[in-house]
Amino acid sequence: MTDELRATKEELTTAEPCELVAVERAVDNRARNEALVSYWVLPFLFLTVALLGGLRVGADDHAFIFFPPPLITLVLAVLLMLLFVRGGLIELRTWVAGHQPPLANLSHIWILLTLFFASAQALNSVLPERGLLHWLFSFFFLWTLWNNQFSSFEARRLLRSLVVLFGTAFVLKHLLLASLYAPDGGWFKRIAGALAQGVSLGTLDAPMFAPATGYISFFTLGLYIVGLVLLGAKTVDSRQ
Amino acid sequence: MRQRLIQILGLTVTAAYALAIVWLYATEPRSFREVATGAQVAAGTYQVDQQKFESALSLFRRDQFRAARDEWQRADPAASDPRTQFYIAYSFYREGWGRIYYDQELFKQGLEAVNRAIALAPQPLSVADENLQLHTAAELKAELEQGIERNWGDVNPLKVMRQRK
Repeated sequence: MTDELRATKEELTTAEPCELVAVERAVDNRARNEALVSYWVLPFLFLTVALLGGLRVGADDHAFIFFPPPLITLVLAVLLMLLFVRGGLIELRTWVAGHQPPLANLSHIWILLTLFFASAQALNSVLPERGLLHWLFSFFFLWTLWNNQFSSFEARRLLRSLVVLFGTAFVLKHLLLASLYAPDGGWFKRIAGALAQGVSLGTLDAPMFAPATGYISFFTLGLYIVGLVLLGAKTVDSRQ
Repeated sequence: MRQRLIQILGLTVTAAYALAIVWLYATEPRSFREVATGAQVAAGTYQVDQQKFESALSLFRRDQFRAARDEWQRADPAASDPRTQFYIAYSFYREGWGRIYYDQELFKQGLEAVNRAIALAPQPLSVADENLQLHTAAELKAELEQGIERNWGDVNPLKVMRQRK
């Protein structure tokens, strides 16, 4: 028994009944908050990411356009999930185990499922929708995630690395490319866009969306990162 | 016990949310209004705007087919009412009908609408309207299909004698 635990035990045995009640209440509240985060907040966050990740707003009529996750994003999401397990963001053995109650196992599998689709849709949100750029972005994601499989990661470093990865893709797609192809852009932008199209024989063609699409993507990625941070905190708790 | 309740409720509510997301991606609504209409259809509370329907019908009877179709589309934004879809198909038929030739494009759109009406109707669709000569969706469909088909009868000069239904 560690000194800290021994001291706590001594404190509890000498504590007044009202202090014991306060401690019990604090423990109870903590368990309830953890349950709320695990069974409500995390699935809701990840499902919202899954909803918004494929949502675009049309440039002409401002209509919603729903892009289901392309096959490549599912492959990338599998690599991301493997990375989460390797990086210790998901404790697969403690989450799904034979000694756990079935409901707890089911809840954990549900979180993993929502995380998988959120990852696929977060990637969908930062990948160009078609053309050569779609495949270029996909290839760079694949390359990075595949390389990361063989690096040593811990949860915090993994999170930082993912923030940089998604942030870079977001800036490239929603700021750089969007401004290059914007119909209301200046002459320089239009000429640069036309040149890029001409040099690539039209393969760099990218669909135009309303600026709201960028805001939705930013919000989606923010939610995804918040979800991952909460997931990391949950894993630390379950380890303790 | 309370934690178990949180767990069960959380699973149920988030599963319902996931189903709603799948439904959104499957139906692909283009605006919040379409989301609301789609939800009404899914919940079984969807109703056609009767006032707009009647106004479209009066336009139809005055042979203003395009205006009538616009009004019917506004009356049935989810395109889920078989009777309205039948009338839309009929308006395509009447507008596309000609003594010399039929407008193929309008007839094709009419065929799509009548197929939609047939698919939506739980039983063979029949509309009791004295101003129409074709009262069932099956009759209208046959008429539209005949108009689209090409055969030697098309060069028959007596064709000009035929009547619009």
